[in-house]
Amino acid sequence: MTENSAPSGVGRREFLKILGAGSAATAAIGCSSDRVERLIPYLTQPDETVPGVSNYYASTCRECSVGCGVLLETRDGRTFKLEGNPDHPLNRGALCARGQASVQGLYNPDRYRGPMIRKNGKLTPATWTEALQLMGQKLGEAQSSGGAGNAVFINKHESGSFPAFLDRWLADFGMPAHLSYDALADHAVIAANRQSYGVAWPSLSFSAAKLIVSIGADFLETWGASVPQQLDFADARAKLEDAPRFVYIGPRRSLTGCNADQWVACKPGSELAIARALAGGSVQSAADASGVPAATLEALQRELGATKPSLVLAGSSGAGSMELALAVNELNKQLGNVGTTVLTDQPITSLEGIATDADINAAVEKMRAGQVPFLMVRGVNPAFTMPRAAKVADALAKVPFKVSFSSYPDETSELCDLVLPDHHPIESWGDAQPMNDVISLQQPGMDPVYDTRQTADVLIDLAKGNQRTAARYTAQNYMRWLIDNFPGGTTAFTAGLQKGIGSGSIARPAARPASTGAPQAPAIEGTNGDFYLVVYPSPTLGDGSGANKPWLQELPDPVTKICWQTWIEINQQTARKLGIDSGDVLQIKTEQGELKAPAYVYMGIQENTVAVAFGQGHSAYGRYAMGVGLNPGDVLPVGFDAASGSFAWTATKVQLTKVNEFTPLVTTEGSARQHGRGIARSVPVEELPHLEMEQEEHDMPGKPDQSYLPGLRSRMAADAMGEIGDSPSRVQKGMYDPEHWSQMAKRRWAMTIDLARCTGCSACVTACYAENNLPTVGAPYQMVHTAFLHGVPGGNILKGREMNWIRLERYWEGGEDGGEFEPRFVPMLCQHCGNAPCEPVCPVYATYHSPDGLNVQVYNRCVGTRYCSNNCPYKVRYFNWFGYGEPARPQYAWPERMSWQLNPDVTVRGKGVMEKCTFCVQRIREAEHRAKAEGREVRPNEFTTSCAQACPSRAIIFGDAADEEWSVARMAQDRRAYHVFHEQLNTYPAVVYLQKVTHPAPKAAAGA
Amino acid sequence: MTVRRKWAVIPGLFALGAVAVLLSAYQGATSRPDTIITEKGSWGYSAASSPQGRSPEQPIHFPHPTHVQTLGMNCLYCHYAANKSTDPGLPAVSTCMGCHLVIGPKRPAMNGRPAFESAEITKLQKYWNEKKPIPWVRIHHVPDYVNFPHMTHVNAGVTCQTCHGQVQKMTQVYQYASLNMGWCINCHVGNVNPAWKARYDCSVCHY
Repeated sequence: MTENSAPSGVGRREFLKILGAGSAATAAIGCSSDRVERLIPYLTQPDETVPGVSNYYASTCRECSVGCGVLLETRDGRTFKLEGNPDHPLNRGALCARGQASVQGLYNPDRYRGPMIRKNGKLTPATWTEALQLMGQKLGEAQSSGGAGNAVFINKHESGSFPAFLDRWLADFGMPAHLSYDALADHAVIAANRQSYGVAWPSLSFSAAKLIVSIGADFLETWGASVPQQLDFADARAKLEDAPRFVYIGPRRSLTGCNADQWVACKPGSELAIARALAGGSVQSAADASGVPAATLEALQRELGATKPSLVLAGSSGAGSMELALAVNELNKQLGNVGTTVLTDQPITSLEGIATDADINAAVEKMRAGQVPFLMVRGVNPAFTMPRAAKVADALAKVPFKVSFSSYPDETSELCDLVLPDHHPIESWGDAQPMNDVISLQQPGMDPVYDTRQTADVLIDLAKGNQRTAARYTAQNYMRWLIDNFPGGTTAFTAGLQKGIGSGSIARPAARPASTGAPQAPAIEGTNGDFYLVVYPSPTLGDGSGANKPWLQELPDPVTKICWQTWIEINQQTARKLGIDSGDVLQIKTEQGELKAPAYVYMGIQENTVAVAFGQGHSAYGRYAMGVGLNPGDVLPVGFDAASGSFAWTATKVQLTKVNEFTPLVTTEGSARQHGRGIARSVPVEELPHLEMEQEEHDMPGKPDQSYLPGLRSRMAADAMGEIGDSPSRVQKGMYDPEHWSQMAKRRWAMTIDLARCTGCSACVTACYAENNLPTVGAPYQMVHTAFLHGVPGGNILKGREMNWIRLERYWEGGEDGGEFEPRFVPMLCQHCGNAPCEPVCPVYATYHSPDGLNVQVYNRCVGTRYCSNNCPYKVRYFNWFGYGEPARPQYAWPERMSWQLNPDVTVRGKGVMEKCTFCVQRIREAEHRAKAEGREVRPNEFTTSCAQACPSRAIIFGDAADEEWSVARMAQDRRAYHVFHEQLNTYPAVVYLQKVTHPAPKAAAGA
Repeated sequence: MTVRRKWAVIPGLFALGAVAVLLSAYQGATSRPDTIITEKGSWGYSAASSPQGRSPEQPIHFPHPTHVQTLGMNCLYCHYAANKSTDPGLPAVSTCMGCHLVIGPKRPAMNGRPAFESAEITKLQKYWNEKKPIPWVRIHHVPDYVNFPHMTHVNAGVTCQTCHGQVQKMTQVYQYASLNMGWCINCHVGNVNPAWKARYDCSVCHY
């Protein structure tokens, strides 16, 4: 790039030349990829790659402990999307929102770029040589001083080979076995299951049950193996007449509770009494303790006795959780459910071997006492997940040397002396054992993004560098070690990698004795205050580890529809009495602290209870998490269910006061009521046999017995296409003519959404963000130049600028005056109307109906008048108010390396452009191109949209409604089918909803 | 009067402008460019297609004629993905070196041409020895909102030369076609070759 230097002076032309070359050089060096038009070839082409064609690497999701199988979609060396592995026996192709968002952890702009060493009180970047030298030296000191025996290693719980490998490594250095931490695990239920069945987590067969009773077990959220449980639950509900009735008992109607046919509100702490009453104990004493009418409990007791098989589940909350879990296990045995709906012979093995909360607390107490000379933490964040009252930071300050293997600057790693950042799971080798005889393999999808190293490799290097241990570590790295120790050796490993699954079992580390002497939480009744406080893990953010992923922050809570915020849920009747409205700031106070947050008035919470979600309120953890929301852990006492070592999340009452302030709720909800518009419909099961298809036959898309012209079916619209008139044959219909040579009008892309299956989990929403390059708009840094909202998390969402092409609407039916109410979920996306209100109002023909039935948005035609959005009755069009894709703008949605996640098949929309669901047109075209290249037609169900692919309920089906071979064509003719707004507005949507089916309490029992 | 006359010119200018735009849109459909714009540096990000006739200087002066005409190599030998991917593929440096390990910079006298030392092969070997990819300058650029699948075109029998011109004769490659939408559509409706006509709905390319 050097220019021949001008001999004397620089002429104008020379100057311009040099300027041009110079700026090109700067651009090339600066690597701002979208400015440089360079074509950089491979140095050596990897064998299995074709540029522009995705490779899929089968791996394992590590976001929670369960270990679902995933496919890492990788192109040109970058993994940009995670999809469930269809061959995996656990999740059968489905993936939850947290799993989808894993890729935002990989490219997170706030990750550690390399190792860090604390110098003069500050963590400063260092080289791996320096960092490993320091680590080796400290390990040597710990060995020689004898301090190694008191070292502590807290690891993120995982199944597979690593725990045993780690324990062996620790033993070689004279250190005790590690603590496998999972703040979300239900330790009481695990302990009870071990006692009752000998396994930590039996798999649950919802589809075999006729009645499901859950006492606070949120099996669709964080309780156990949520994705497989949701798959089975949805399958069960899809059996319609034969589906189980589902009763949820608990102080708060969670997302799982919202999927129940009946919610029984009870006081926190009274769950055990209810479980005993259901098992045949005294109904009256349970009614007194719980505030549930005795008649309800009696009816339930009778129903449970009469309905076989059933399934009773319990979720732990506070003191006495173990007793509750044991009582429920006993009840299941008594009802004969074990072996039918509780499958103890098919356990979810990935939940074995988790250290209890009390174990972690005991370790922290040891640190506080100054007995721990050496602490290592990997993948977990106890300084955040343990309540503030546990004073983890103070305890850590007593440890002379602390090492973090965290990839992110979280609350714990910021307190450490040395950070040896771990690879993201997408960059790592590993394995998991989610089920007996199933090994789920984990392989990297790409080279590391930053200068990180896999912890297992670091441990091997350290052992090699130590005289005493060197001889025992001959494997080149952890991958080699895995292969050498894999059942069946290299052949089995290589074969397994293709599908991501191997068979065999991996030795688990020896069970460690549970710690004793954890402080027993007092019964909640005895605590001071006027309201019970329920703290529940956020279904979207989990234990708070999801908070640095903007997709999860922007994903509204499935129940309240609030994002980027912490709120206090309070009962509707109570709020009315106290004069509280949604958004009024409430203060809750305990001896441990106080918390001020806006109220969310909710029908689904017991009248003397307030609830706060856990997961927000980080003081570190990057730009998306820090300073967003509040941490309810700040007001919780340190108390445990001593029998199981489970932390008591629901442990205390609080003083509630209304503060004279108002904070608007960051919600994506328009109205919580349907106002009789029939958006989300349901039908009681007894009316199902009388149900007939509501629409006239010809209205259903793709009805095969008619001459077929997709969309534009109304008389008016048809005329616009020249169907009516003097001589229609002479009118040029172009590709809209079914006989046109392009055959484009042959297909009609359509979708069915089965509301009997949909649980409202919102995995589809995140899947859409991942596939379609949707910008997130709510980060604090994206809200600028606006008075009162500057830097406010979710500020842009308060202004209605969210960009969720598919959103999960949640409506309440009934319950205005405190009675029973029915929640309904309905995924709302562009309906691809055949007679679309948005199309005729576009002045520049940027939106129109394509011959194959898509409502197309042409970005390059759009001039941003927004008439289409104004005219859309479904409100599914989203406008780019800012240049979210322009790095120089403050609203830039993909700061450095987030942009690596962008799907190369989808345009990043510019400022001033309208956008909306495209039915994943890039996937349609890709399938068509592939079919054409292979000289065939697109095969039925050959591909699907991103939302349908991810859905852990299998509620969404996409395809060609004009071809009977596609599932969607059959589903669209279901008796439960209906269109939203079609009757009123004549829109002819291509999205068909199937009514939800409710299962009311049996008549006889209800009357009693 | 004069004032009025001046104003009357404006619609005329508009009409002229419109004709010019229309003409320019279809210009590329018919003929090769009149001018070859040799330029250094790179074509920056733009919402428009790169201009016709563009011929940026490349880091290595790769002679297509030598490889294609003299040696008879097929386009797909190097642009190996053009018939199986949206992306035509660019040869890896190792592909070049597959031959140029043997064919070094010292070229013997051949066919009446004296022996000489090739500066370009020297550059190539330097890149290879330093393990650096060659930073080719992109010539053909279509905006982000256009999806152009190479394989569908190649498999339909559209020759490389149809869009890229006689690359086998170009000592320095230039952009032969205008790459604007009128040029695309002209072929899609079957004006260039009726056998090549294809769907021309917006959503076929724009998404």
